[in-house]
Formats: sequence, structure tokens, C-alpha cells
Amino acid sequence: MLKLILYRLALAVPQLLLLSLFVFFLTYLIPGSPAGAILGAAATPEGIARLEAQLGLDRPWYVRLGEFYAGLVRGDLGNSYISGRPVVELFVERIPATASLILAGMLVAVILGLALGIMGGTKPGSIRDRVATAFTSVSMSLPEFWVGIVLLLIFAVQLRILPVVSYVPFDVDPFGWARGLILPSIALGVGGAALIARQTRTAMASAMSSRYIDSLTAAGVPRRRVVFRYSFKNALVPVLASTGLTVSIMLGASFSVEKVFSFPGIGALMIRSVTGKDFAVVQGGVLLIAIMIILINLILDVSYGLLNPKSRPS
Amino acid sequence: MSETSTTLIAVSGSGRHQGRSSNIGRIVARMRKQPGTIVAGAFIVVLFFTAILAPLLAPYDPTQVNFDNILEPPSAQFWLGTDDLGRDQLSRLIFGAQIVLIVALGAVVVAALIGVPLGLIFGFNGGWWDRIGMRFIDMAQALPGMVIGLTVVAILGRNIIILMFAIGLIGASLFARMTRAVVLVERNKLYVEAAEVAGLPRRQIIFGQILPNLVGPIVTQGTVFLGSAIMIESAMSFLGIGLSSDIPTWGAMLSLALDNQAVAPHLTWPPGIAIVLTVLAFSVFGDGLNDALTGERRRLPRLGLRLAQAEEERAARAAVPTVQAAIGADTSSSSGAQPVLVAHDVSVALAMPDRTQARIVKNVSITVAKGEIVGLLGESGSGKSTFARAVLGMLPPGTWLATGSIRLLGEELAHRRESELAHIRGTRMGAVFQDPMNALSPVHSVGMQLTEPLRLHKAMNRAQARARAIELLERVGVRNAASRLDDYPHQFSGGMAQRVAIAMALAADPELLIADEATSALDVTTQAQVLDLILDLRDEYGLGVLMITHSLGVVAETCDRAAVMYRGRIVEDSSVETLFHDPQHLYTRSLLAANPANAESSGRLATIDGELRMEIDRQLDAFEADEAGA
Repeated sequence: MLKLILYRLALAVPQLLLLSLFVFFLTYLIPGSPAGAILGAAATPEGIARLEAQLGLDRPWYVRLGEFYAGLVRGDLGNSYISGRPVVELFVERIPATASLILAGMLVAVILGLALGIMGGTKPGSIRDRVATAFTSVSMSLPEFWVGIVLLLIFAVQLRILPVVSYVPFDVDPFGWARGLILPSIALGVGGAALIARQTRTAMASAMSSRYIDSLTAAGVPRRRVVFRYSFKNALVPVLASTGLTVSIMLGASFSVEKVFSFPGIGALMIRSVTGKDFAVVQGGVLLIAIMIILINLILDVSYGLLNPKSRPS
Repeated sequence: MSETSTTLIAVSGSGRHQGRSSNIGRIVARMRKQPGTIVAGAFIVVLFFTAILAPLLAPYDPTQVNFDNILEPPSAQFWLGTDDLGRDQLSRLIFGAQIVLIVALGAVVVAALIGVPLGLIFGFNGGWWDRIGMRFIDMAQALPGMVIGLTVVAILGRNIIILMFAIGLIGASLFARMTRAVVLVERNKLYVEAAEVAGLPRRQIIFGQILPNLVGPIVTQGTVFLGSAIMIESAMSFLGIGLSSDIPTWGAMLSLALDNQAVAPHLTWPPGIAIVLTVLAFSVFGDGLNDALTGERRRLPRLGLRLAQAEEERAARAAVPTVQAAIGADTSSSSGAQPVLVAHDVSVALAMPDRTQARIVKNVSITVAKGEIVGLLGESGSGKSTFARAVLGMLPPGTWLATGSIRLLGEELAHRRESELAHIRGTRMGAVFQDPMNALSPVHSVGMQLTEPLRLHKAMNRAQARARAIELLERVGVRNAASRLDDYPHQFSGGMAQRVAIAMALAADPELLIADEATSALDVTTQAQVLDLILDLRDEYGLGVLMITHSLGVVAETCDRAAVMYRGRIVEDSSVETLFHDPQHLYTRSLLAANPANAESSGRLATIDGELRMEIDRQLDAFEADEAGA
């Protein structure tokens, strides 16, 4: 198992290197210069030069690249062009809100997705399979932010049983934290559930038609046990293999959910920085999100090895 | 009628090289049989016309600010109400369709223009090109699309072309992946090799030969991505990183709806419903297109047929007691030994797609005595495995027991409830199937699966079950049984895996073992060893064995008696001695003549050719006609 973890870590290094290079050169793709973009159409050449000097953008690229990597090693991604605060600090203080949202959304997605997938996959072609499939197709087409707006309208504005402003830090009020996550996690989880349900249905249907199901059934193992103990664990193998993609999709979707429920998360920071042309924050955000996704995939790969004996190095 | 012919063409799968026009005709014909696709297609057509005719259809100018009518609810004047600047929502919705379709179509074009060439390069060059290229694609796909989109907007700014490019970039990896997959399939096909041998330049091969085959998949991928592009465009507009907010987009409308939720809830519904329906329409249409292109049909059996099946099963169940009365006398007299299995007049029906049903097992009667090995011999498709499943009560969906009685140790099994059968399986009958490598769950240890029947039927605790499992493994000839219990099936060879499967089938001491082609997938030496094991176990426990096989050799080596099955019927049932030396039925005789083991070294091997088969079929038809008349 340790071998597998080390191997995966070794694979992640070139990925990170490549990604950081790409992210570094992003600012060079800006037509004109970042300073010009920040100052807008009314900028004078002197003004641009002054801002460039102030932001350190006037030095040659190799100096800046060296500085970028020196900073990266120390966990420093530079400072925001606008507030001047360290980029890493800006993100770190926003991680709890986004992490809460994604974890809660994932919980909804996994429970709902597995239930729907098992419902359809254990009896393909049946009426309950058609119901589950129809539900999945519709959820796939629901924009998460619209689901959020509708939930907010019904439960917060009209019925007034849940708060409009959702996020309460866990250490301030754990109950309020959980209560505030109900609607956002449903909004985010429904789409993820559809992805998981689709995967589970296919995997479950193929597991159910496997030979070993016959062997177990013929040995007198009751169907319920065959389904939940044997087919299910087999079906989890391909489902887990695609979970990395599901998490990534949900991370993207969390941006608009954060806006609906006014979450002080990473998405809100990114959007604010894009509209405010704070390239340092956008750059740092892209890199941090990529690192997070590489880490999540690493964890998933290792748990995949736990689940599937064939992929364990012997 | 035309339905069956289209299916056949699809199955033969030769569509690709024929005339383009007939291809399109066929695809359209297939799609017309998918009601969902038709509805989705109609919606898309209406949407496009709405977008094109927006200036004519919209009652107001969508950007017209009107401070006299701010946040008005729907009324006769403003059908969908107005927003916080008094702009008419219906007009904005209609023009929004125009914007969203333009952006989405542009994004699809961008995605295809970037993705398809990349896929062609990776797929055709292979090697390092492919390996490094696909790493990039993987990385791009691992990032959330929204992050790619907002990065592009952050760098290049906001306008409609940049938005198309941003969304197109998100989808490019999909097109690259799909193109590469198609190229990898196509480049190994004969015609590409032929073109290469004929000296056509590489570029010409790619563009002349492979590209036409890519058209279908690209169109399908494009349709599916169109839906995603609409979703992404809406999300970006909603977040304020799409187009500028005075341009009417569905996403920006929802952003306003959120801001004014407390006072104007009516703003929430129309744009959201528009997005959902549009995305759903493109995804349903894309799926339908894909099915039509690949010739796949996901049609499920019709409900009417299932009702007929239920009715027939009820009738068959009602008939069981009479059948039992009829056979009451003749089973006891068959031989001295007490019969373990008495199957009488068993028929299995199969539901056909055209609402008819076919009998795949017809009036099969067979008896297995204690300690007796009875062969059920037949070619593939003769119905022998279906019969075995009928005995086990494990008929696949769409088939059912139409007539007959199945008695195991005197107890009727036909039409028993699944919960009752589950207890009979394992304790009174066990089964071993073909293909030992798939007979055990790959993600569970062998020990866990082997102890399953022990703990269930013998009520053993974990430790007892483990100890007994080791004994069983040793008995079936697995060496180092104690240490192998925690191994997984992939660590076993085929022969060893089949021994484990036999141990599992016999763990709870059944009296009948059904071996369904249990040795067919094994090599000759292993096959002999496993057959020997079954013979030993028979002697030791007095098992009755139903040996289902297509091999005359297996029958000759192991069976006491054998029944020959053809076209769902038993055509001959006799002792092995008689079967081999004095076969009665023409089919049996032909089968024996075709046995390679009997072929003279010099002469040609006899086969059951078309003429002989027609003769056999004629005899059987005559017999069936007789039976129907009687």
C-alpha cells in the first residue's frame, strides 16, 4: 500500500511542475499587460510603468520565474494586486466554507446517487429503473444555481423555515453550520447524484449479470445479500474510479452555489478577482485548485487500491 | 416489418462504407422510432425558430428600460412580468434564446476545431505524441470547466467571441478524446492498411478515409456538448463573468431573480425552466442520435408482454398438481435407487421483441437418481443450460417456466417463491458453471465466499466456518488451503478456481450437483482432474449429478446415463452404453459420426452439414406436428 502511495506521489510531481509553469506564464498571455488591464482604457504609459514597477512586473521573466518557484517552495503565492494581502492567506481563510459545501454536497450526491443507481441497476428495464433513469436525466439538466434559487425561494423566502444567509462557521455554531448547509448541499448534490447514479446503474447492471452472482445465488445466498454485499462492492470499483471527475465537476458547480447562498468561499473570491482583474489571486487560485484536485485523485487512487485487489502491487 | 429489417442491418454493422445518402435515410428512419428523440427534436426546432424570429416574436425591445413598470408580476401587458429596470421578461427570454444558441454553437465549433485535430494527431501518430498529449488532455479534464472558463475571461476580457472560445476550450478535451478513440479503431481497419500499402500519403489517408467516419461521432458529441455549453454559458452569465449584464441572457436573468427574490418571485421560473428544457432536449436528442448512428436500441420489453407472461405463469402454476398426479406412478418404478431429481414435461418460454413468445425448452423430462451422473448433451443453443436454470429456479429475465413439474427429493420446486428457493439452493442442490475465472467475485476473498453457505445454511460462526472451509478446500485438492483462504480469485488458476467453486457448491451438503459446462473452459489435463474430482465426490457423498455438456468425451468418461437435447427437446435418453453403441435418433447418430475422436486418421471428418441438418429438422418438425395434432 505504501508503495502505491509513493508511486502516485511520484507521478504527481511532474504534473505539478507542468501546471505551475503553465500558471506562471498565464499573465504573459494577457493582451497588453496586467497593469494596463487593471488601469483600463484611460491609463497613461507613465501610470502603467509605475504600476508595473510597483507590482514587480517590469523585471525579466526568468527573474520572476525564479521568484515564483522560490515562493512556491515556501508556500508563498505572492500578494493580491488589489488588497496587497498574501494570496495563500486569502484562500486559506475561505477553504472551510467551500470544503463544508463540497463535503455536504458530496454526501447528498453519494446517498442519492447510489440509491438511484441501485434502484435501476438491480433490475434494468423495469418500471423502477425507468423512473430512476428519468429522474437522473432531468437532474443532469438542472443548473445547480437555479435549483439553489428555487430552494431558497421556497424554504427561506416563502416558508421561512431555513435561513437566507447560509454559512455559519462550524466553530461559531455547529448547529447553525449544519442548518445552513441543508439547502446548498441539495442544490449542489442533485447534479452530482445524477453523475453517480448513471455510473452506479451501469456498474450494478453489469455486476448483476456476472457469473459470480450465479454461483452465489446457486449456493443459496439470498438476493438481498447478493445485491448489497457482492454486486454492490463490485459496482463500487468503477464508480470510485470516476469519483475524481465528480468531485471536480462539483467544485466547478460550487462557484455558482456559493453566489446563491452568499457563501464566503473560494468561488466567490475567484469571481471577485476575475471581475476586479486581480491576476495574482486568479493565478494562485487556479494553482491551488489544481493541487487540491491532484490530492483528491491521489486519495481516491489509494482507496481504489483498497477496494480492488487486482490493482494492488504485490 | 420495416422495424425488423432496420434492426438486422444494424446488427450486421456494415453501414459505414455505403452511400452517404442511404446512411442518413436509415439514421432518420431509426430516430423516427424513438418518441423521446422526436419530442426533443421538435423542441429544438421550435427553439431555433424562436431565436431566429426573435425580433418579430418579442413584444418589446429587450433592453428597453421602463421605470413606470418596475418588477411587475405577469399580466396581460407583460406576460412574464418585468425586472428591476422595467424590462419585459418575455422579450428578454426570447432574445436570450438567440444569445445562448449563438454562444453554444460557437463554442461547439471552437471545441471541435481544437479537439478534433489534436485527437487526429494523437491517434494517428501514437507513441510519445499520444502519451504526452493524452496526459495534457487528462489534466485539462481533471480541472473544473468553470476554472478554465474564468481563467480565459480573466486573461482576455469579456465579449461574445472570448466567451465562445472559453467554453469551447472546456469542451475541446472531449472532442480530442472521442476523435482519438475513433482513429485508433479506424486505423487498424483493413482499408487504412490497404491505403497505406497502396502508397497513399499519410495526410490523404487521414483526411480522405478517416474523417468521413468521424462525421457521425462528431455530430453526436457536438449535440451533447451543445447542452453542456448552454449550461456553462448560463452559469458564467449568472456569475457575472459571461457577457455584459445588459445583454439578455438566461443566466443574467436568474442573477436578477436572485437579487429581487423577496419582492418578485415570478422572475425565478421562466429562465430556469428554459435552461432545463433546452439542456434536456439536447441531451435526449444527442442520446437518440447516438443510438441511431450505432444502431443500438435501448428499447425495453413492452408492458403488455409482461402481463401475458404473468398470466401464463399463473396458468402453469395451477397445472402443477395435475402433472404431479400423472407422474406419481412412473417415477418410483424407473429404477431401484431413489430419484434425487424428477423433472417432468418442463417447458420454458422466452419473450420475443415482437410480442410473440418462443419455447426454448420443450417438454423435457429427466430423472437423476442418487449416486447417478446423468449427462445432458447438446450443442450451444439447444436449451440445456436454460433447463438447468429452470431446475435451479434461476431463469433469466424475459423467460419463464411455462409447463411442467420439478421435484427435488420429492419436493416440488416449480413456481416456488424466491425466498423458499434460496434455502433449497445450497442445501439440497448446488451448481457449478462455466468460466471459473468469473465464477467468484473478484473483490471478495475466496474465504469469504466459501464460508457464505456455511454460515447461512449450517449456522456456523466465523471460526467454525473458516475451519470447515479449509477442510473443504483440502478435499477438493487446493494445496496450502489455510493460507489461500485470504487470497483473491485472480490469484488462482482456472482449474483451482473451479475447485473452489465446486467446494462452494457442495459446502452445505446438497444431494444434487448441477455442473453446467463446468469443465468446458479448462484445458484437457485440468478438465480430466476436475472430472475425476466430481466422480470421487459422487462416490463419497452419493451425489446425484446433472452433467450439462457439449462434449461427447465428458459424457463417455463420467456419465451413467445421458439425454441428448436438440432444439429445446430431448431426442434421446438412454444409458451411455446404448447411446454410443446403438443410437436411436438420427441426430445422435450424426453427432457421434462427427466426433473427431472416432474419425479415421485418413478419412475426412464427418460433419452435420446443411442437408443432414435439414433432414433432422424435418423429422423433428413432423414429430412436433404429430404431437400438436394429438
